[in-house]
Amino acid sequence: METQAAPREYRWRMPGNWWTRNRHYFNYMLREFSSVPMALWMLWLLVEIQRAGGAASQYQPHGSPAFIAFSVIVLLFSLYHSVTFLSLAGTILHFKVFDRPVPSRLIVLAMFGMWLVASVVVAFVLVWFAR
Amino acid sequence: MRAEARQRPALAHLFFWFLFSQGGVLAALLLPAHVLVQGILGPLGFVPVVDRHHDTWINVLGNPLVKLYLLVFFAFAFFHYAHRIRYFLVDLGVHAAKSVPAQVIFYGGAVVVTLITLWVLLTTAPLFH
Repeated sequence: METQAAPREYRWRMPGNWWTRNRHYFNYMLREFSSVPMALWMLWLLVEIQRAGGAASQYQPHGSPAFIAFSVIVLLFSLYHSVTFLSLAGTILHFKVFDRPVPSRLIVLAMFGMWLVASVVVAFVLVWFAR
Repeated sequence: MRAEARQRPALAHLFFWFLFSQGGVLAALLLPAHVLVQGILGPLGFVPVVDRHHDTWINVLGNPLVKLYLLVFFAFAFFHYAHRIRYFLVDLGVHAAKSVPAQVIFYGGAVVVTLITLWVLLTTAPLFH
């Protein structure tokens, strides 16, 4: 009688560079990665808040060229996050007004409008109270 | 009985989805303005910004509404970042990022950042002298 070897399980693994093969995959990974610089910048902000608790004479705000260059990179990533995440709202949110579904384009437009308003308010507070 | 169990709402799923989505929305709505003003325009001297001088910065940070705003912003945004960075690693092929210890590290990290933010906000320009 012939003995049969136990069947070996075939384990398929995604190649590590799958995201470099297609522009959409690359953009998806770029979007996921955007959280890293954004988190680092917010940690810097937390340090800046904490430094305000020290003596006024020792307070020196960050302003080196390296910090500004870092902020420019973070701004690009955060803009990419904003555009992609707020655009998703049209796909995710579904609701009706007077028994009629709200068009997804209108939902996305409202999200971008909120972004504009929020940006103006944040910038206004940051600049106005500096006087 | 089994049908009843199936119909039970996935509250944990709802809770984590809420944290993730709100963090994404808050970061999308608020962060670009902060980076542009505090990270670029202020340091370049194009506009006066609150954090360029100690007195204006401490005055703003002493406002309870500003403290609440920063706490909510940091708490939700860091949960969103934790989730995204974890899945970024999973997508890169780091399967360990799916494990329970990895979840504890990432989401626990978001909780730690939130607690540190709370502590920093309460000790910097305290509400009650």
